[in-house]
Amino acid sequence: MIESLPSTKQQPKGPEANDKLTAKVKSFELKKNDKYYAWLFLGPSILLLTVFVFFPMLRTLYLSLFLTDTFGKPTVFVGLKNYTILLKSASYIASLKATGTYVVSVSVFTIIFGLLLAAMANQKLRGIGFFRNIFTATMGVSVSVSAVFWLFMFNPTLGILNKVVIAFGFHPINWLTTPGWAMVAVIATTVWMHLGFTFLLFFGALQAVPKSLYDAADVSGATSRYQFWHITLPMISPTMFFVAVITLISGFKSFGLIDLMTGGGPTNATNLLVYRVYKDAFMNGNYAQASTEAIILTVIIAIITFVQFKLLAKRVNY
Amino acid sequence: MKKISQFIKRYWQLFSAAAVILVIGLGVFGYSRSQVHDASGRTRVVFWHEMKGPGQKKLVTFINEFNKSQSKYEIVPQFQGGYNDVIQKIMNTHGTDASPAIFQSMDISTSQMYHSGFTVPMQKFVDKENYDVSKIASVARGVATRKGTLLAMPFNTSQTTLYYNAGLLKKYNITPPPVDPTYSDITRVSKQLYDRSNHKVKGISVESYSWLFEQFLSNANEEFANQHDGHTGISTKVNFTGPTAIKSMTWVQDRVKYGDFMNFGSHKNEMAAFLSNKLGIYMQTSADMSVLAKGLGKNLGVTYYPRPDGVKANGISVGGASLWISNDKSEAVQQGAWEFTKFLINPKNQARWEKATGYLAINQDSANEPILKQSYEKLPMLKVPSDQLKSAKANYTNSGIFVDGVVAARSLIQNAMQQIYAGKDVYKSLKAAEDSYNKVLESNNLANGWTK
Amino acid sequence: MENSMMKQVAKKRLLGNSLKYILLALLAFIVIFPFALGIWTSFLPSMDIAKGTLWGGGQLTLHNYVTAFTQTKILRYLLNSLVIASLVTIAHLFFCSLGAYAFVFLDFKYRDFLFYVVLGTMMLPFEAEVIPNFATVKMLGLLNHYSVMVIPFLTSAFGIFMLRQTFKQIPRDLKEAADVDGLSHWQFYWKVVMPYSKISLCTLAAYSFLGAWNQYLWPMLTTFSDHLRPVQDGLRQLQSEETFNDWGMVQASAAIVVVPTLIVLYIGQHYFKSGLNEGSVK
Repeated sequence: MIESLPSTKQQPKGPEANDKLTAKVKSFELKKNDKYYAWLFLGPSILLLTVFVFFPMLRTLYLSLFLTDTFGKPTVFVGLKNYTILLKSASYIASLKATGTYVVSVSVFTIIFGLLLAAMANQKLRGIGFFRNIFTATMGVSVSVSAVFWLFMFNPTLGILNKVVIAFGFHPINWLTTPGWAMVAVIATTVWMHLGFTFLLFFGALQAVPKSLYDAADVSGATSRYQFWHITLPMISPTMFFVAVITLISGFKSFGLIDLMTGGGPTNATNLLVYRVYKDAFMNGNYAQASTEAIILTVIIAIITFVQFKLLAKRVNY
Repeated sequence: MKKISQFIKRYWQLFSAAAVILVIGLGVFGYSRSQVHDASGRTRVVFWHEMKGPGQKKLVTFINEFNKSQSKYEIVPQFQGGYNDVIQKIMNTHGTDASPAIFQSMDISTSQMYHSGFTVPMQKFVDKENYDVSKIASVARGVATRKGTLLAMPFNTSQTTLYYNAGLLKKYNITPPPVDPTYSDITRVSKQLYDRSNHKVKGISVESYSWLFEQFLSNANEEFANQHDGHTGISTKVNFTGPTAIKSMTWVQDRVKYGDFMNFGSHKNEMAAFLSNKLGIYMQTSADMSVLAKGLGKNLGVTYYPRPDGVKANGISVGGASLWISNDKSEAVQQGAWEFTKFLINPKNQARWEKATGYLAINQDSANEPILKQSYEKLPMLKVPSDQLKSAKANYTNSGIFVDGVVAARSLIQNAMQQIYAGKDVYKSLKAAEDSYNKVLESNNLANGWTK
Repeated sequence: MENSMMKQVAKKRLLGNSLKYILLALLAFIVIFPFALGIWTSFLPSMDIAKGTLWGGGQLTLHNYVTAFTQTKILRYLLNSLVIASLVTIAHLFFCSLGAYAFVFLDFKYRDFLFYVVLGTMMLPFEAEVIPNFATVKMLGLLNHYSVMVIPFLTSAFGIFMLRQTFKQIPRDLKEAADVDGLSHWQFYWKVVMPYSKISLCTLAAYSFLGAWNQYLWPMLTTFSDHLRPVQDGLRQLQSEETFNDWGMVQASAAIVVVPTLIVLYIGQHYFKSGLNEGSVK
């Protein structure tokens, strides 16, 4: 490897002793070295990505075409049968729907609340800095910490939420063990967890809107509502789209919260696609089915990520 | 050579950066690799367990005592979470440094552990030392036995038990349920409690937990899977829609409809409600006993698991878990695991174990231990689960389910139970679970070459 | 006349402002409440929590923290996470910057193709590839070891992508001048590119650290002893071990875990913001 690196002794062909030309020639010579540097610089990353991203994807695809035995080895080739069985299974369809509900709700509510927080914090008021700091606070909260905090609030006998519910004269709710409420609970927790990050994004976007636009609008007597719909919203719409896409993607990958809060239950109501992969593989030992589910999940996420790239590309052109 | 040294001179930063990463990487690599020996030269025996709460506390005490009692072995406990995860963890780590020497695995994993070939049958150690295994309760051994060979050693053995709040019953002037009750006996108590408390107290809760469903079948001598629950061959079909299955689930659904039933959704919540006098009856593992007895004292009522009306109780199979010794460790380590097993199941420790947790002492000599005698005298109801265990005569339907991958069946059944509690049709819900699991069974048998 | 109108305007503004403050306070309450409640209960005696008396129950206690520190491995979990996250962060800074440099300053065959390949990996979720990855690390003998939580994450396609964007902003003149001076690629990378991109590197570091700190699924699958578990999985462990509601201790542990991240966050906030701008605006 080292021996094969070109030595500096080799003189380039250009014989003229012109400074500028020498530099050009030098850079040409360096260009020739680029190949080796590329290997050196890019090699580790490409190797890692190949071993831990590309190969596993192909392997997962391969496994999804077989039945796997007790040891997880593919033994019987079944073609696309795993896919057809899965897509016909009522419980998988339910999981798809649940995942859809979850990611869309999380995305929508995160945007609404994030924007609300940002808009409120974007005012000139005394002590607004204090509020801004509070609004970013959830950024530091990891999945398991959020889960612990919210699990306590959702606790049917000790939790604060049921105390409120009872105080208003209703029956206590089994938040995490009633299908509909369990979904509400995980959505609420996820949205809360995302708030800090989203707030920061929207706040940045709002601050970046040129003040002159508002001044002009003020002069022409536009109401603040009009200003919001016709100035603010269009200006921050790229950020909004960005937030939507990243919350969608992270929603599809949401594992820890489900694992800690509901374990996919009750009645599979929160058995999201990614949790199913884990459960089928590492609890039920059905690696073929889990691989099939993993491929479907990948296709969905890949499509959304692709949209994100297109979006980024568009932005770069701005 | 000169070229190389020149090259190094020129790119020293690159090399040093790579070296730093390499050193860090290797340092991390070499760090805390699981060693065979500890600092004092004792053989390390890694033990995976899934005990929580009081069970964990007591188990740790046992381990410390064992480690102090001799100087050859050191047991290293590692908590692994739930029973469900551990089966695949064993399947996935066997043959690596990460795998344990001895592990605790639940009743329904027996078949899979047997088929994996990853363990040394306990019978080998029993035979070598002529260990008197007849002292261990036969029903408990039955769950871990295949064709006369003891595969694993029962350790934390439990029974599904019906708990009732005797204090509440007294307060509302209700006759307690009899020993060996029928569904209607329980219905009566539950309804009365709900009605007489002006709906302030819920009568009954049955967690949507498949183990309870399985015991409903057991107690009425109904098979869960063909080939006699897998004891006589590879099961190819399951049966979740037999008469008892339908009867028991309809019974629970009727309670839901009447209103005396509440689905607390989790064992934890159920227990909390029971202890705070918001719930009259619930059915769970006998391992709840220590916490309940501590909380309610003499006000705790305990009776057998219910049976359908007009059906003789067949007895229920044991729950809990057994100890398995892996075959991917050296003989010395295996021997250490066996010594530890013997220590855990000796009469005294099993008696202390039952006292501390509510898991049943499987060593028959434990009954003579003063610690257990005293505790039975003080609170007689503590003895009920072990009476229940003794009243059963082992047969196919109460000796566990010898089928691979029952974990998946359990989640399907739990799903069905939740649907039933939510008011869906009993037969349809169970049938859907049955059909789904039959497909799983079919492809699993095919993939393993057990059927064609 | 004019005076009264001014008064009215002032009144209106006052009313508007107080409404704004009320709304702000309400939002702040929603955001901070789960936090505050968790921290608050971590100071209550277990008995009070079990009984459901959250306030007015008497004195506060540090007992839960003492239990968390002495009875659980929470400090060990924190140390593990710190080691893992630091290693991953350093590795990201190194490998991602090298990769990005190659894509910007080097000229080689298949450059664009390789770039799209790297970009493509961002579309493949790691969560869906755990089955073969588990088999790989098992084969490499890495199970139940720090390296299993580090080696698969030594590089990041996102990091390469982000730094490439930054490096592209470096004026080409600099490179040409460096060529004239006879600086090698490595020297140019080390002496010019890296110092020039400090802010982006800090941003990447913050993201990588937080990402590694929040790893949950992978360590859960590949570690089997408390010795090695990172905090997220440690908390899961504590949560599941406590069958009987030692909520105070669990909350105290959560509070212990959240404090370091909050500190990192307030220090790193500036970089997060600039990172967001880079990701979304450029």
